[in-house]
Amino acid sequence: MSLFEVKNLKKTYQIGDVKTDALRGVDLTINEGEFTAIAGPSGSGKSTLLHLMGGLDKPTSGEVHLNDKRIDQLSKAEGAAVRLDKLGYVFQAYNLIPVLTALENAAFVLELQGVNKKEREARALESLRALGMEKFRDRRPNQLSGGQQQRVAVARAFAAEPDIILADEPTANLDSKSGGDLIEMMKRLNEEKGVTFVFSTHDPRLLEHVKRTVNMEDGRMVATGMPEAVLA
Amino acid sequence: MIALAWRNLWRQGRRSLISLIAVAIVVLFAVLMYSMAGALTNGMYADLTKEVGNAQIHTADYRNARNFSDGLLDNATEIRDTVASTAPDAVVVGSLQVPGLLAGEDRSRGLAVQGQDWPELLREDFVTDYLAEGTFVEGDNISGIMLGQSLATALEVGLGDDVYVYAPGTEGYGAAAYTVEGILDFEDPRREINAAYLSLAAAQELAAPDALSRLELHYPDINTVKEDALIVPDIAALQNALGESTEVEVWRDLSPGLATMLNFLAPMMVIMSLIFFVLAGLLVLNTVYLSTLERIREFGVIISLGAKGRRIMGMVTLESLMMCLTGAAIGLAIGLGLIALGSNGFTMPGYAVEMMAEVGLPTVMYLSIEPWQILLAVGFAVLTAFFAALGPARMAANIEPAEAMRYTA
Repeated sequence: MSLFEVKNLKKTYQIGDVKTDALRGVDLTINEGEFTAIAGPSGSGKSTLLHLMGGLDKPTSGEVHLNDKRIDQLSKAEGAAVRLDKLGYVFQAYNLIPVLTALENAAFVLELQGVNKKEREARALESLRALGMEKFRDRRPNQLSGGQQQRVAVARAFAAEPDIILADEPTANLDSKSGGDLIEMMKRLNEEKGVTFVFSTHDPRLLEHVKRTVNMEDGRMVATGMPEAVLA
Repeated sequence: MIALAWRNLWRQGRRSLISLIAVAIVVLFAVLMYSMAGALTNGMYADLTKEVGNAQIHTADYRNARNFSDGLLDNATEIRDTVASTAPDAVVVGSLQVPGLLAGEDRSRGLAVQGQDWPELLREDFVTDYLAEGTFVEGDNISGIMLGQSLATALEVGLGDDVYVYAPGTEGYGAAAYTVEGILDFEDPRREINAAYLSLAAAQELAAPDALSRLELHYPDINTVKEDALIVPDIAALQNALGESTEVEVWRDLSPGLATMLNFLAPMMVIMSLIFFVLAGLLVLNTVYLSTLERIREFGVIISLGAKGRRIMGMVTLESLMMCLTGAAIGLAIGLGLIALGSNGFTMPGYAVEMMAEVGLPTVMYLSIEPWQILLAVGFAVLTAFFAALGPARMAANIEPAEAMRYTA
């Protein structure tokens, strides 16, 4: 079943007199349960595509549909509601809230959703457990390694039970082992819990594990399919 | 969110502490100002009403009387009876003021000699507060006189010396000699230089047999301006009962300048405190603004995660509110403690007492504060928090998440 659909998506940035075409017309469909990477070199438009899919930015033209509902023309409040209930985010720089513990960070989206304290702590703890982080529940981000922080970030996204988790270069700041561990855990969530993941990445370790790769170059989608076919 | 707001406050602990202390100081200052205003107001009220009564009964239009007789009450006995039935809680003092010349052997001075009767309650306070030497002149004593200390010095007389009074009366001019039996010490130098007290009988014998200039109504249980409102019905009823030939004046009529000053005192304190809150608010604004600026990326993340603009505004406002309320609580605690200490009465240092007495300010002050004034101070603190947070909160709420991700503080 089609979860995400992007039609002829374009995005142009203007800085002073300079116009930059970050996306030049991208068509993409993401189905439920996918574990898909959007790959490409720096400047290819991966993050821009992810931001537009997630409603963090507005396209210059084109359409973004989530669950058959168009989301690129929503108001700020409507967009926030979609992000809160339907989407999960994992950022390259982890972006945990520094004054909250791992458990509180994992429960943060649930708190935004209005879930009561007892339930959100239980779900957050379960989410941390799924990422192997329950022992570190009371630690603050500055007491965790990069890999651990990123796992808490994934737990935060996962705890809210979104339709899809968008991850922007999730392993970019991690060492080999941490990155590998993270990928394994996300893959397990995908296989065991059916969580749909879409990543932007140029990390070959991540590409080994995905079921599908979308290759971007100069703001265009140049290939899509199994990784070995796309990257060949 | 409350825990998050509190922890965010202390990310830049020193900066938040400075703003919090500023709010605490302003709240402390505000409650102390309000209590001082209350102390001054009630102190001046108490001093005035102690001296002239909570109300006075005069003959109508007495201020425009062309001669001594025209200013006298004609039917004092009937008026006393009316007062007893209409305002039974009032302690009534009959007073006769005789303008004239008071002379010692070599020196003289023009003033109004005062003769009055002394109910026990008022007599005790007068003797305790003012009689410095000698004995109290009252009742049937028609040969003794009490003088203010500086008046006695000016006339070059002391205890046991004779002074002479020359005064107009209802039956022509009169003169009499009195022996100085009491010396009075008032804190107000102007009162002291003009203080000459005879018994009522002596004053009536000198100038106007059986006559009175006024009847003073004293309510010993009414000690504050707020309590003064309780006697308004009595006064209104009394005026109705006495008719147009008699004028009943309350303390505001007797001292309009003081009444005007007291009317302005409290609002002035409120305005002054508001100015200080504005200044503290600028400091709070600076703290909240910088804190928001430093966390633009974080707010971008929170918006990305699905928080609406109102939620973001609420977060920033909550931080500001917690900072101001914590400061207010500290300031209030210290302020109320100081007010509790001052509620038992305190005097200013030596030289200040004379200065205050000279300008009619009470020399012993009793700090007090009304609940609405406490709420006002806290309310100002809350308003400070809201207004200080307004700009930064809107800025945070309107962050574009994609741009915020690229922001580096």
